[in-house]
Amino acid sequence: MTIVIFVGSLLGAMALGLPIAFALIVSGLALMAFMGMLDPQIVVQSMWDGANSFPLLAVPFFMLAGEFMNAGGMSRRIIAMAMAWVGHLRGGLGFVAVFAAILMASLSGSAVADTAALASILLPMMRQAGYDIHRSGGLIAAGGIIAPVIPPSIGMILYGVAGQVSITKLFLAGIVPGIMMGVALLITWWWLARREILTTPPKVPLRERLRLTADAFWAMLLPVVIIGGLKTGVFTPTEAAVVAAVYAMFVGLVIYRELRIADLYGLMLSAAKTTAVVMFLVAAAGISAWLITASNIPAQLADLLAPVMDNRLLLMLALMVIVLIVGTALDFAPTILLMVPVLMPIIKQAGIDPVYFGVLFIMNNAIGLITPPVGTVLNVVCGVGRMSMSNLMKGVGPFLLAQTAVLFLLVLFPELVMAPLAWFTAR
Amino acid sequence: MWNGTLFFRILDGILVVCIAAMLVMVFGNVVLRAVFNSGIDVSEELPRFLFVWMTFIGAVIGFREGAHFGVDALVRLLPRAGKKVCWAINQVIMLVCCAVIVQGTLLQHDLNATNHAPVTGLSMIWVFGVTYLTGGVIGLMCIVNLVRLALGKVGDDELIQVEEEGMGEVDPNRLKGPGPLASPNTLKETAP
Amino acid sequence: QTAERTMRLSAAVAQDHPFAAGVSALTACAAEKSGGKMKIQSFWNAALGSDMQAVQLVRGGSLDMVVASTSPLASLVPAMGVFDLPFLFENETEADRILDGAVGQQLSEKLQGVGLVNLAYWENGFRNLTNSRRPIQKWEDLGGTKIRVMQNPVFMDTFSTLGANAVPMAFSELFTALETRAVDGQENPYANIETGKFYEAQKYLSVTNHAYTPAVILYSKKIWDGLSSAERDVLQSCAAVARTEERRVNREQSEKSLARLKDLGMQVNELSAEERKRMLQKVAPVYEKHAATIGAETMTLLQSELGQLRKANP
Ligand code: NA
Ligand code: NA
Repeated sequence: MTIVIFVGSLLGAMALGLPIAFALIVSGLALMAFMGMLDPQIVVQSMWDGANSFPLLAVPFFMLAGEFMNAGGMSRRIIAMAMAWVGHLRGGLGFVAVFAAILMASLSGSAVADTAALASILLPMMRQAGYDIHRSGGLIAAGGIIAPVIPPSIGMILYGVAGQVSITKLFLAGIVPGIMMGVALLITWWWLARREILTTPPKVPLRERLRLTADAFWAMLLPVVIIGGLKTGVFTPTEAAVVAAVYAMFVGLVIYRELRIADLYGLMLSAAKTTAVVMFLVAAAGISAWLITASNIPAQLADLLAPVMDNRLLLMLALMVIVLIVGTALDFAPTILLMVPVLMPIIKQAGIDPVYFGVLFIMNNAIGLITPPVGTVLNVVCGVGRMSMSNLMKGVGPFLLAQTAVLFLLVLFPELVMAPLAWFTAR
Repeated sequence: MWNGTLFFRILDGILVVCIAAMLVMVFGNVVLRAVFNSGIDVSEELPRFLFVWMTFIGAVIGFREGAHFGVDALVRLLPRAGKKVCWAINQVIMLVCCAVIVQGTLLQHDLNATNHAPVTGLSMIWVFGVTYLTGGVIGLMCIVNLVRLALGKVGDDELIQVEEEGMGEVDPNRLKGPGPLASPNTLKETAP
Repeated sequence: QTAERTMRLSAAVAQDHPFAAGVSALTACAAEKSGGKMKIQSFWNAALGSDMQAVQLVRGGSLDMVVASTSPLASLVPAMGVFDLPFLFENETEADRILDGAVGQQLSEKLQGVGLVNLAYWENGFRNLTNSRRPIQKWEDLGGTKIRVMQNPVFMDTFSTLGANAVPMAFSELFTALETRAVDGQENPYANIETGKFYEAQKYLSVTNHAYTPAVILYSKKIWDGLSSAERDVLQSCAAVARTEERRVNREQSEKSLARLKDLGMQVNELSAEERKRMLQKVAPVYEKHAATIGAETMTLLQSELGQLRKANP
C-alpha cells in the first residue's frame, strides 16, 4: 500500500507539470500523512542533510570544469584532433564524433554539456558533407551519453553519495564499459555507413596531424591527471574535481587564451545555477528517501522480487529492465535519487557488488537520456540540430540498440567490469 | 512574474561568491597537502556550508527562471483553460510545500541555534536558516503568480513552468570560437 | 498506565554492529515488561539520517530514539567531547565505572538540557591504529604518516601532536584511500577494521587503545514528558539490561575480531605500558587546549573520580 501511495502521489504531481523537486516533497508529505506522522521537521532535516555533503562538492566543480573547457576551447581542439586522425575515412565524421565523445567523456561529467558541444560543432559539418542528418544526430546523442559512464561522472557521484559506495571505485570501474559503449557505436556506424557514398575531407598530412594533436595536448592531459590522481590515490573525487576546474580555467586563460577574466563571473554563475537545480533535487529526494526507508518500501519490493532473489543473473536482468522502463519517462538525476534508496538494500541482500551494479545502473540511466518520451540528450540534439524529435528517434534507434546490447553483455559477463576494476585498483 | 531584478542580481552574486570561495578553499587545501604536507581544518566544513547556501539560494533563482526539471508532456496536451487550472493548482501545491519548509525551519530553529559546527564553532542556524529564504521567496512568488493569474496577466508561455528537459542547460552560442579546424584548407570538403 | 506505542529508533551503523544486540535486548525487554504494548522499530545504516540528523529529529520530537556515539554530540553539549581525549581510560572497567557513575550522571543532566533523555551508556569500545608502513611501538613511529581521522578537532589535534598528518575523510572513501595509499593508516575499533576489510590494505595493527568511544541511547524529551511513569520505568530499566548485553557482545566480538585479524595476516603489536605513558605525556597539550571547551566542571569531576578509582585499584 505504501508503494502505491508513494508512486501514485509522485506520478500525479509530476503529471500536473509540477517540478520534480516539488513532486518529491508532495509524495513525501503524502507518505507521512498515510503513516500518521505529518511533520515539517522531517522535511527540512532531510533536505538539509541531502545538501550538506562534502563528496557532493565534486558536482559544482566538475560542472565548472565543463564550463571552462567548452568556453576555453578545449572541446573544440579535441574534436579537431579526432578530425585530423580519422576524418578522412569513409563516414569519417561519424568516427570523429565517437572518438571525440569518448575523449570528452573523460573530461566532463555531464552528458548534456558534451552532447551540446559535439552537436554544435559536428552536426553542421555532417550536414554539409551530405550525411543522413538524422542518423548523424542519433550517433552524436548516443555518443554524448558515454559522458556519465567514463569518469568524471556527476551520476556516479550522486549514486556513490546516495548509496554510500566509493566514488573512486565507481569512477575507475566505468572506464572500460564506457569505452565499450564507444566501440559499439563505431561498429554500428561502420555497418550503417559502409555502402554509402559520402564526401569526406582529404587526408590531413602527418605534420598537420601532429600539430593538431600537440594543440590538444593540454586538453588531453586533464583525463591523465584525473584518472592518474584517482588511481594512485593522490586525490579524492572531490579534489580531482577541483583540480580539473582549476586546470581547465588555467588552460583556457593562460595557454589557449580563449577565456577572459571577465568571462569567469558568467561561467561560475552558470555552473552554480546548474548545480543548484540538481542539488535542490538531491535535497528534495532526501525526504522521499527518508520515508521510503521509514515505511519499509525496499522490503516490500524485495518481496515482489522474491522469485528471482536467489538468482543474481535473473535479478540483475529484472532490475535492469525496471530501470530501463523508468528511464524512458524520468530524467537522469531523479531516477538515480529515487531508485538508489529502494534498490540498494536489495542489491546488498542479494550479494551483488554495489560498484558493479552502480556502473550498470549509471549506464542504464545514461541510455534513458536517449529513450523517448523523455530524453534530455535527444532534446539537446533536436535543439542544436534543428530537427524533429520523431526523425531523430528513428536516427538514434540502431545506436540505442547497440548501447543496450552492451548493457546486457555486462549483465551476462560481470567480469568485463570487475576484471578491469581489479587491475585499476591493484597497487 | 514578480519583478525584483536587483534582488535576484544580488542572489546571483551570492551564488558566484559561494562557488568561488568553495573553489579557493578546496583547491587551497589540495595544494597545501601536496606541497606542505599540511592542511587547514576549516576547508572541509566551510565549503560544505557554502554549498548548502548555494543549493538553497540557487533553487530560488532556478524557480524564477523555470529551470527546475519536470515533465511537461501531459500538460502540453491540455487546452488553454486546462493549462491555466493546472498551473494554478501547481502554484497552490508549491505554496503549501514552501509553508512546510518555513514551518519546519522554524520548528528546528532553536535546535540549530544551539548546535555548533565542530571546527568553526558556527551556529548551525546560520547554515540551515537559508531555507527561510528558499521557502519564503518561492512561496511569495507563488502568491504573486496566483494574483497575476486572477488579474489575467499570465502569458501562455508561462503556463509551462518546468525546464524543457536539457535545453536550458546549454547555450550553443557559448561554444564560441571558429570551427574545429585550425587551418582553412582542411575545412573544405571534397568529393572522394 | 501503558498505551500501545511503536517507537522508532535510528542508528547510523549496520545491523551487524553490537548496537543491534543491545537494541534487540531492549526491544525484547520492553515488550515483555509492557505486556507487548511497547514496540521498538529500529532503522540501521543511517537510513533515517546521520547521527546528527537523527539527534536533531529526536530533539524536535519527530523521532523517538537514537543510538549514537558521543563524539558528534559535542557540538550540542561540549562536555561530551571529554571522551574524545586520548588515553583517557586504561581499561574497560574504568570506563564502565566512570560512565555509570557521577560523571555519566552529570553529562546526562547536560543532555536533558538540550532535549535529550539519556537512557544508558553503551559503547563502541576502544579504538586501535592500523597502518601500512610500520608497527607503531612509540609515538615517534607515527612521524610523517598520513592517518585518516574523524572530522573531530580532538582527534585531529591528537594525531598531529603525535607527529602524524591527520587527514579527515568520509568513512565511505576510507577503504579506497587505504588501498591506493592516499593515507597510510586509520584508527577504529577492531570490529570496524574487520568489517571494513581494512586488513586487505593494512599490514600493521597496533594495540594503542588510544580512545574509548562510548555511545548513548537517547530518548526524545518532548515525547518522554508525555510518557507515563510506568512507561519511563520500563524504558530505563530495559536500557540498563540492554547495556549489559551490548557491552558483553561488543567485548566478545572485539576479541573475536582481533583473533580473526591475526589469522588474516595482520601483524599485531602491543604498546608497552611505558610507551603508553610517553604518548600520554606527549598529548598533554591536547588536554590543555580542549579543557576549556569541555568545561572545568566535567574535567575536575572526571579527574577526581579517575584518581579515586586508580588509588583503589592500583
Ligand atoms: Na565523464
Ligand atoms: Na528517457
